[in-house]
Amino acid sequence: MNKQIRRLGVVLTALYIVLFGFLNYWQIVDADSLNKHPANTRAVVRDFTRARGAVQTADGVVLARSVDSKDNFKLQREYPEGALFGPITGYFSFSYGTDGVERTYNDLLTGRGQKLELRRLRDLLLTKEHNANITLTLTKQLQQVATQALGTRRGAVVALDPRDGAVLAMVNFPSYDPTPLAGHNQENVRATWDLLNASQDKPLLPRSFRERYFPGSTFKVVTASTALANGRTPTNPVFPQLTSLLLPNTINQRLSNFGGSRCGGNIAQGLRVSCNTVFAQLGLDLGGPILAGGANAFGFNQRPPLDLPAPTTSFFPDGGVLDKDKPALAKSAIGQQDVSASPLQMALVAAAIANNGTAMTPHVFAEARDSEGKVVSRFRPKPWVRAVTPEVASQMRDLMIDVVARGTGRLGAIPGVQVAGKTGTAQTGRDTSHAWFICFAPAEAPTIAVAVILENQSNVSEVTGGVDAAPVARAVVQAALAQPRPAAP
Amino acid sequence: MIRVRRNTELGLVLLAALITTGAYVLASLGRSATLPADVGPFLGVVLALLGVAHVATRRLAPAADGMLLPLAALLNGIGYVFIARLDHKLAALQSLWTGVGVLAFVATLLVVRRARDLERYRYTLALLGVGLLMLPLAPGIGQNINGNRIWVRLAGVSFQPGEMAKIVLAVFFASYLIEKQALLSQTRRFLGLMLPQFSLKHLGPLLLAWAASLVVMLAEKDLGSSLLFFALFVAMLWVATARATYLCVGGLLFGAGSFVAWETFAHVQDRVRIWINPWPYDHGYQLVQSMFALAAGGLSGTGLSLGTPQRIPVVTSDFIFSAIGEELGLFGTTAVLAAILLMVGAGLRIAVRADSGFEKLLAVGLTTILAVQSFIIIGGVIRVVPLTGVTLPFVSYGGSSLVANYILLALLLRISSDSAERHAAAVGADETRVQYRV
Repeated sequence: MNKQIRRLGVVLTALYIVLFGFLNYWQIVDADSLNKHPANTRAVVRDFTRARGAVQTADGVVLARSVDSKDNFKLQREYPEGALFGPITGYFSFSYGTDGVERTYNDLLTGRGQKLELRRLRDLLLTKEHNANITLTLTKQLQQVATQALGTRRGAVVALDPRDGAVLAMVNFPSYDPTPLAGHNQENVRATWDLLNASQDKPLLPRSFRERYFPGSTFKVVTASTALANGRTPTNPVFPQLTSLLLPNTINQRLSNFGGSRCGGNIAQGLRVSCNTVFAQLGLDLGGPILAGGANAFGFNQRPPLDLPAPTTSFFPDGGVLDKDKPALAKSAIGQQDVSASPLQMALVAAAIANNGTAMTPHVFAEARDSEGKVVSRFRPKPWVRAVTPEVASQMRDLMIDVVARGTGRLGAIPGVQVAGKTGTAQTGRDTSHAWFICFAPAEAPTIAVAVILENQSNVSEVTGGVDAAPVARAVVQAALAQPRPAAP
Repeated sequence: MIRVRRNTELGLVLLAALITTGAYVLASLGRSATLPADVGPFLGVVLALLGVAHVATRRLAPAADGMLLPLAALLNGIGYVFIARLDHKLAALQSLWTGVGVLAFVATLLVVRRARDLERYRYTLALLGVGLLMLPLAPGIGQNINGNRIWVRLAGVSFQPGEMAKIVLAVFFASYLIEKQALLSQTRRFLGLMLPQFSLKHLGPLLLAWAASLVVMLAEKDLGSSLLFFALFVAMLWVATARATYLCVGGLLFGAGSFVAWETFAHVQDRVRIWINPWPYDHGYQLVQSMFALAAGGLSGTGLSLGTPQRIPVVTSDFIFSAIGEELGLFGTTAVLAAILLMVGAGLRIAVRADSGFEKLLAVGLTTILAVQSFIIIGGVIRVVPLTGVTLPFVSYGGSSLVANYILLALLLRISSDSAERHAAAVGADETRVQYRV
């Protein structure tokens, strides 16, 4: 019988080897895909009960933190600054998932980032928090200035440091307070959620990077840059003085200057007063493919690599299609027709000119530190798009200085500081238009680039952007220059 | 030799107690970051229970294998820590049942002074076994719980007689097969093949016992136990006769049984479908959660009390292995597999060393129960085989299972001690035995 017993032993051992094999498969090989399976809510629950790192501004103000709660979840997420930073921090909601920094940097905040994971083996026997605290590039001070300047007008402000792409301020109005969404009473959370979603003003929409508008005349910066990059100079060619331009291939469709004003001249003169007929004709002369190429060089039709969830892609039509539709080409050259851009994209256009033609990768993340204060991750600046050459950027800077000094952007001027900018007014209805202003300063060595949009202002003229939006940008630039950002290490 | 075995056992039992207490402390630290208030009494109770068991083997089965008791204690301890971490009320009951289990262990060693005595009661035991199996079907005391009619409620206490029945029937199979060993091993030439003599006279009672237990199992819808019985029967028959033909016939019978079960029970089809693909089915929720738990555990686990295994339905009994997988990771599950395999190895070693055919076969049967039952439930919760609800020996929550497994353990130790003592006597080391049998 002993032979049989030994054989039985072999058979039973084989059964257990099969079990061991399957365990390895489920627990190691297939673990990642199981953990990420849509039906698997463990990660959510675990993140919800697990200590989560704090988020703070560059000036040390806490934006998100976890505090003890008396219920099953043990921890309650709260956002002390509320709506001021709502669209940036996002929310951490049991029912509605996450958004903002809470989503993008979830792994770091929960201690599941790779670097933290590696350190964990060493820390196996030590009890300590593995989650990291995150510092953003934004400051409460500038965010507040921008929020106050925007006031209760629907719109957005985006301020970037053109040198490294750091977001200095990013404001949306209306905004929302994420704290109620992170609550543990799911009925209350749902009520808040439904209320926010029912609002016509779309407070949950971070319009600064997730909404697109007609860029209007601010797009003339792109058209002018493309022209300068393609053999034109600020003073040549010269366009005729017109009140309106007859569009090619049409019976009598005319593209007018605002208020029927008469303007013309070279590119510098055209940009200064934001002359539609000059840039429409310039666009027609350049042709669809070259104009589209210029827009794409500034990052149109590409998703900006912002480290917040789902930034929208700004749109410029296909060059070949525009060549077949000349009226559309003329309108596209002045930022109308089907052209659309997010406030972030227009800030990046200003930042590209400011940074010798290169737009840096925009980001809100500065660094993450572990509970001992050691840096576990730090943002390394990298170029995003090379829009124009430094020479073209330098010419454009002078043209934009001129816009603020003597043109439509006079209200953006700051005593003692050279500001380069461009206004925009995109008509949205008979009596309404979006007011735009993009700028950077100090023009000779820019440290801030700003884009401002005010939705549906109730006056329509070429100076709308200059009148309504430029002062907002000016307030932000002034505050930023008063408190220079510490040089990046 | 004998003293070495007992001292090894003592050392390992203490180690098991320390590991259990350590895990208990860790579970409390994970839950509330505090030391458990009752860690002193807890260690005391663990030591007392294991001490009683150890002293009992020292006195009643002094030459027995020294590995089995510590391994069982370890599995029991880890299981208890998980039950306590998942459900406080069940933990109180489980500790009570552990006490009863240890008492049953001692009682078995006391009552069964020689394993061979059991051989005499074979037909009584066969009757008892079938009776125990049928008990849940009896009106009035039988109870339907979760669609299985395997419970009996008497005087306010519920238990599963099937857990005891498998041991009793293993004893019966062993004695019967040994008696008929020569007959069953006879071969004749048929169509050029050497086939055993199939005669109803010899195989009849056996087939009857097997069929009866299968019928009862199917009536009680307890597929796991049914499978276990079948595997037990075939393994013992094969070991007793060394005829591979029985394996083939067993395989055919298994196929036929599976087919009948498939045709008869909707829930059998359900189980198989879920095993093949658990995702689209509501009923697959349990298995899906089990796999999520295993994946969440990964290599080193989330840590005791730091996972969420309570999301798996019936996690304390059928799915306790998944909870271990989540919180102790692959390290923990491998340790449990290794502990069970070591127990199986020790059991088969006892079988090899036993010098009487009956003891050999009984040890094989008892070990097979342990190995196959563990395989069925672990394989079920990690999707190696379709899920059939049986307990994980010593680990799962369940009084009947715990008591039955402690009796099983006592019987194995009894066989081990008897044959080692006889062996020692044969080589003239009698004085050694006398000296240490204090």
